[in-house]
Amino acid sequence: MVGLQKPRRVAVIGGVRTPFCRSFTGYADLTNLDLMTTALNGLVEKFRLQGEIIDEVTGGAVVTHSKDFNLTREAVLGTKLSPRTPGITLSQACGTSLQAALGSAAKIATGQIECAIACGSDTVSDAPIALQRKLALRLLSVSRARSFGAKVKAFTKGFSPAELVPKSLSVTEPRTGLSMGQHTELMAQEFHIDRASQDLLAFESHHHAAAAYEEGFLDDLLVPCSGVFRDNNLRPDVELSKLAELRMAFEKSSRGSLTAGNSTPLTDGASAMLIASEDWAERHGLKPQAYLTHGGHAAIDFVGGQGLLMAPTIAVAKMLDQAGLTLQDFDLYEIHEAFAAQVLCTLKAWESPEYCRNVLGRDEPLGSIDRTKLNIKGSSIAFGHPFAATGARIAATLAKLLSQGNNGKRGLISVCTAGGMGVCAILEKAEA
Amino acid sequence: MTKTLPDLKHWQFSIDFDNIAWAIFDQEGASTNTFSTETGLELEKIVATTEEAAKKGEVRALIFLSGKEKTFIVGADIREFEALTSEKAVKDVVQKMTGIFDRLERLPIPVICGIHGYCLGGGLEFAMACHYRIATRDDATRIGLPEVKLGIIPGLHGTVRMTKLAGAIAGMGAMLTGRMLRPGAARGMGLVDQLAPGRQELRWACRKAAINRRRTKKPSLWKRAQALPGIRSLLASRMRKATAAKVREDHYPAPFRLIELFEQHGGNREAMAEAETQVFAPLMISDTSRNLRRVFHLSELLKNEAPKDVAKPLRAHIIGAGTMGGDIAAVCVASGMEVSIQDTSAKAIDKALGRAKQHFKKRLRSKAEVNKAVARLHPDTSGHFLRRADVVIEAIVEKLEIKQQLFKSMELVVRPSAILATNTSSLRIDDIAAEMNDPTRLIGLHFFNPVPQMPLVEVVRGEKSREDEVRRGCAFVTAIGKFPLITKDTPGFLVNAVLSPYLFGAIKRLDAGEDPAKIDAAAEKFGMPMGPIELADAVGLDICKYVAEILGYEVPENSKLAKLVKEDKLGKKSNQGFYTWLKGKAQKNVAVKSDPPSEEQSASELEALGRELIVPLIDACEKALADGVVADADHVDAGVIFGTGFAPFRGGPLHYRASLNNKTTSSQNSPEDMGESAATVAE
Repeated sequence: MVGLQKPRRVAVIGGVRTPFCRSFTGYADLTNLDLMTTALNGLVEKFRLQGEIIDEVTGGAVVTHSKDFNLTREAVLGTKLSPRTPGITLSQACGTSLQAALGSAAKIATGQIECAIACGSDTVSDAPIALQRKLALRLLSVSRARSFGAKVKAFTKGFSPAELVPKSLSVTEPRTGLSMGQHTELMAQEFHIDRASQDLLAFESHHHAAAAYEEGFLDDLLVPCSGVFRDNNLRPDVELSKLAELRMAFEKSSRGSLTAGNSTPLTDGASAMLIASEDWAERHGLKPQAYLTHGGHAAIDFVGGQGLLMAPTIAVAKMLDQAGLTLQDFDLYEIHEAFAAQVLCTLKAWESPEYCRNVLGRDEPLGSIDRTKLNIKGSSIAFGHPFAATGARIAATLAKLLSQGNNGKRGLISVCTAGGMGVCAILEKAEA
Repeated sequence: MTKTLPDLKHWQFSIDFDNIAWAIFDQEGASTNTFSTETGLELEKIVATTEEAAKKGEVRALIFLSGKEKTFIVGADIREFEALTSEKAVKDVVQKMTGIFDRLERLPIPVICGIHGYCLGGGLEFAMACHYRIATRDDATRIGLPEVKLGIIPGLHGTVRMTKLAGAIAGMGAMLTGRMLRPGAARGMGLVDQLAPGRQELRWACRKAAINRRRTKKPSLWKRAQALPGIRSLLASRMRKATAAKVREDHYPAPFRLIELFEQHGGNREAMAEAETQVFAPLMISDTSRNLRRVFHLSELLKNEAPKDVAKPLRAHIIGAGTMGGDIAAVCVASGMEVSIQDTSAKAIDKALGRAKQHFKKRLRSKAEVNKAVARLHPDTSGHFLRRADVVIEAIVEKLEIKQQLFKSMELVVRPSAILATNTSSLRIDDIAAEMNDPTRLIGLHFFNPVPQMPLVEVVRGEKSREDEVRRGCAFVTAIGKFPLITKDTPGFLVNAVLSPYLFGAIKRLDAGEDPAKIDAAAEKFGMPMGPIELADAVGLDICKYVAEILGYEVPENSKLAKLVKEDKLGKKSNQGFYTWLKGKAQKNVAVKSDPPSEEQSASELEALGRELIVPLIDACEKALADGVVADADHVDAGVIFGTGFAPFRGGPLHYRASLNNKTTSSQNSPEDMGESAATVAE
């Protein structure tokens, strides 16, 4: 080990992703493996990594098959990277690829490795169809039974046809039985987030994203996949009045405020980003777009009643203390839009003296941010949200923004995840 | 205790500790694998070594794989056949190879073949001699016997093994069309026994098949029944009819010989194998086949104009949503690009999008693919997609000033790396570029109508055009699956310059009282895909007249062409031109066929007329060659074949004239040769 040397800086070289498609559309016939391989190959192509041994590729998928027990390594084997590149599969729900980057960044900082790729992929179009637990147990006991008679008995004893109904995928929290949307609806009510402000945030997300397309900002961040060039969730012509007409998606009563328009849809897609030591980058003739300087994550007691997607408030507060920065010390904010309400609750919580005192244990609130610096190239509501892919999408976007002219020097990333967790990071501009 | 054959150049051979023999074909100094004398000899050594080892029980299976990334084996090396002039020489080569294949088939141990990439012609004939075939599901894998496209039939007993494995209906169908099958289809036909996901999995699948001693299943009763005598002749007559609907026997004899072969010997392995060689040899040395092989080489010649190391363009921006612009956009989208189509008229764009969708429905395989293609094509009335494009093609009205202004204004917006091209057919590139800051950027990309069907695109080098821009233009053309022909910026470039004298010569004959249907029949007899009069109608008589004027042909006021244009009878598009058009078909009176003095006389009369009709075209080709419009005579021939459909079996206009001249000088020997081939075919 390197001992107590000063940590090395971690360069973000850049990232790419596949276009994102609403589930059961453009990628209906692709698997996580296909999508992740395409994103990785896009990265290989972009940074000329053909035949390179990357010290580690980390990432994963949220909705996954048991046969993909190490999805990332399998994906690596399908790329033009050297087959001697190891792969690690991990999951922190929607924070997966960002957490993957943080873990590898720490290893780069300590000198354990020189370079890494963080990646994530998700597709609901290839969701595993699982058996009912009762039927699974029954089949296992049938296979363990020794005689034919015993097998028949094991199979038929107490059998009910209802066991044959397969369990389909649902995006619900196992502990509470509520869906993400239902949980967020609870948060929106707790923080008094009205429908109009959610719709406005969604509207801005689409407009920023459409403008980003038009100026060509996304061209080198996207690698065409299976004949798709463009996120198909994006609505450049969306209107506020149209958003206002949509029906409630989760809480159908008049108290409800979340709609399909201000929430993210189920989405398929993959992303990947390359990080490395400055040395390695220089040796490979690659210019860092930004430095990954801080990161962190935290969890919240949502089972005990706190807001499911409020954990980023804690994670960011902790990270700011470590970095010696205030919430206002950033030129860009990338806050993942799982739901418009999630972003608005987070911002409101940071502004609330009460919340900051009770939950974050601070005397002063973190305060408000300049909303014109938030998600300036659009975010998940416009692009869609293939869970594990979102972190690397956001990090690659922010790194590119920081590498360009006068977008500022420092950016904050905050991603909320299922299971009541939040992952965050700080990227800083690489000096010219 | 692995055993190897160290002195092989093109193959790696080893027997591993599992007693499995691995033969990896990796032809030295080539990007693909082919069977030649040299690679065949090495294969023979491999077979002999394995025979020996099998006798001693030292080997339990033999596995064949390719060392190339994207090909298995693309066939026999046809260049070796070019030197052979006698049937006997051809037969000697063939019998040597079929002997090796037969020995391979007789090996007492399982022979497994792992196919990834192109497996064509002799490559598939080899694979079919193995005992079990596994192919990758990869999109790069294509399997087929395309020999008829080269004027020959499969000659390494492929006809025998194909009809056995796939049955006569599917097998003969694949050979008669020469189409390349996707792995799934090949498996469905029984050519392949198993599919593997990709190249990495292939060797392991082969290993497992070897250990489990897999063998291809016996063909089904139904497949075997297809070779029964009664069914055979029934099938043969149906095949003959379907083939005759597509090609003429006097121009393309190979498929008809193949049908005869099957009809006479199908189901009888030895007899069919023997007869295959008898049919194959004369076809191989025939002029038709030599010429068709020449056409294949010409297509490679054009494809090689494109540099291999340039990035594939991803985004195209087409300006002008007329027929040409719309079709160019549709073709780009169908080949995988993201395309924006710009026009001031939203209505014109809508129309183009509608036509494009029809094209996708025809061309693409599934509804999902069509939907994705539709999503890749963006209407653009304001030009905001321009700045993102890798390729910009202008296809607007032929007005110099408008084009000049357009390119001048675009130059400021487009990416520095973007290709800038005009689809002009009548203006000079340098004139259009005159107002640009950097006129060296502009090239011409001249498409032909109908764009989806025409394989050629002229890449026009203006006097100022930069060479790398021209080459990148070629790369774009190959990326959309077409052949690039680099031409000088002269009026009509190559294709229109040589086609026009032929067209106007034919039209002049009309004014002299010749029957249009007779003219067309004569041209078709010569081997043109469509007669000149029908072609003029299809192109549009207004356009013909316009082109004529640009190229300096006189169109007298009282000529038929001028009169028709004046009356707005413009050909196919207005249902009336030289012909009346009904439902997109020209109504030809059949007087020529119904009242001939005698069949034979009319045939020779048509033949003579056909040769006369084509003379102005060949004269123009010679002039174009002398003027340096394209690089050399081969490029003239390539351009004219792919740009006009000029009778491929004649090898191109200049080649045709040269061979006519040769024949007249050496006519003493030829009757004997002809006699021999005729006799063999009749067997």
